[in-house]
Amino acid sequence: MKIQPFGDSSLLVSFEEEISETTNKKVIALFQLLENKKGVCFQIPAYNSLTIGIDPKEWNLSDATIFIREQQEVFPDISKKSRNQYIIPVCYEEDFAPDLNEISDYLKISPSQLISLHTAQSYRVFMLGFVAGFAYLGTLNPKLECPRKKNPRLKVAAGSVGLAGLQTGIYPTDAPGGWQIIGRTPLDIFNPERDNPTLLNPGDSVSFRAISKEEFQIIRLKIETGIFQMEVAHA
Amino acid sequence: MPNTLNLHFRKTGLKTSIQDFGRMGYQHLGIPMGGALDKEAMLAANRILNNADETPVLECTLIGPEIEFTGKGKICLTGAEMNAQLNGKKLERYKPLAIQEGDVLNMSGVNEGCRSYIGIQGIWKAGTWLGSSSALSNYLSENGFMSTICDGDELKVESPAKETEYLLPTYKKPYYSSCYIVRVVTGPEFSRFSIEQIEDFFHKVFTVSQDANRMGYRLNENLLDYEAMKEEISSGIIPGTIQITNSGQPIVLLADAQTTGGYPRIAIIVSEDLDIFGQMKPGDEVKFMLASL
Repeated sequence: MKIQPFGDSSLLVSFEEEISETTNKKVIALFQLLENKKGVCFQIPAYNSLTIGIDPKEWNLSDATIFIREQQEVFPDISKKSRNQYIIPVCYEEDFAPDLNEISDYLKISPSQLISLHTAQSYRVFMLGFVAGFAYLGTLNPKLECPRKKNPRLKVAAGSVGLAGLQTGIYPTDAPGGWQIIGRTPLDIFNPERDNPTLLNPGDSVSFRAISKEEFQIIRLKIETGIFQMEVAHA
Repeated sequence: MPNTLNLHFRKTGLKTSIQDFGRMGYQHLGIPMGGALDKEAMLAANRILNNADETPVLECTLIGPEIEFTGKGKICLTGAEMNAQLNGKKLERYKPLAIQEGDVLNMSGVNEGCRSYIGIQGIWKAGTWLGSSSALSNYLSENGFMSTICDGDELKVESPAKETEYLLPTYKKPYYSSCYIVRVVTGPEFSRFSIEQIEDFFHKVFTVSQDANRMGYRLNENLLDYEAMKEEISSGIIPGTIQITNSGQPIVLLADAQTTGGYPRIAIIVSEDLDIFGQMKPGDEVKFMLASL
């Protein structure tokens, strides 16, 4: 663990130089430990680092550094606390999956093999970033590893599920983007009117379930009428 | 009955938005901080009007709006000089200004600086989200309070019930240059740059490119003979972070920037110099100076 100043009122704590669940667990554990700490005004957990904004009126960088060092023994235990596990319905049919066929060809598998590989495992929310509520999910099966699009789209529809490198992710709102789009979820991943505006939080676990276009419409209707219940996996 | 001042935006100007201190504490959800780019100018507008510091203001960029008022109230203009006129008469900045029914405020292109602030006395009837009324740059919503102001929009501010006597704080009108020395501290990836690249970074005079908005400013002039480093694992970004892109071009990230990024962070602008950086416009020149904490 390395702690360094980041600007004049933030700290950057970096862990092993890798994208792995073990390393990200440390990030999330430290994030949780500092969540309600006085003097911390914001935090940005990422794959293997945590940015901590310090309110100079309440705390200072050197005391915060000492405090974090002292907690090193404590936070591996916290990371055992389970986070939310969600099952996210995704429609992989043509209308919602503009890149599915091209990417299947590139990966030399059939679209249905792609779908079954994508739905076969659970993913960790390593971090949120890019736009409000965009969750970086990993680690993808290497059989699905693909590059970003050469020409990013100016507008990717909210709910679109994409692939990039060894990651998969869901566009929370309409946004420009270069990920390969293989499906769409009817869920409101981001809704500013909800108490928790983003569905996913750092450290959560997510798996996908393939649905038909009809089921997509039914779920949309349920969400709009307020009777939809989120599927939660049981550990 | 309290007086209400109604604003009708006949023209929005280049980019006018409601801003306050922004949203602190939601960055783990990927939500940018937002907030006025020149907080000192925002604070001055509110303090001159005897408003609470947290009261929103209008932030106008390069070309200001044309606003028709109904009702009565007080406003105050701070920040960049945009040739503001009320019913055709030139207005002074950093002074409270009484507004009468039917008055028209007209602002044109900027003379110096980049962003003007319009403070309005009283309680703003603007929506808030996560404790802030600030617009969200990358939120592609068609309308709603989180977007920037559009032609024809209306805004209501409830004026205080009775005239209060108070001692006005005096503010010196700032002078804006087109060339600044901005202080930075070393960024997390500073040591991955070669001595030659670091020297180049601190010797060069960079120009703000046309690609400059509330999310960030791209600077013209790439670092000499820059070879892209291996891609960094995405990590946090705070306002004032200077990243070097693969072509060697510096980008200064500002209040509406995304919360994470993968380019190496060579340096971070010190908090005190961020307000003045927000007053820089395309074509202005900047040189970075290394400060010690």
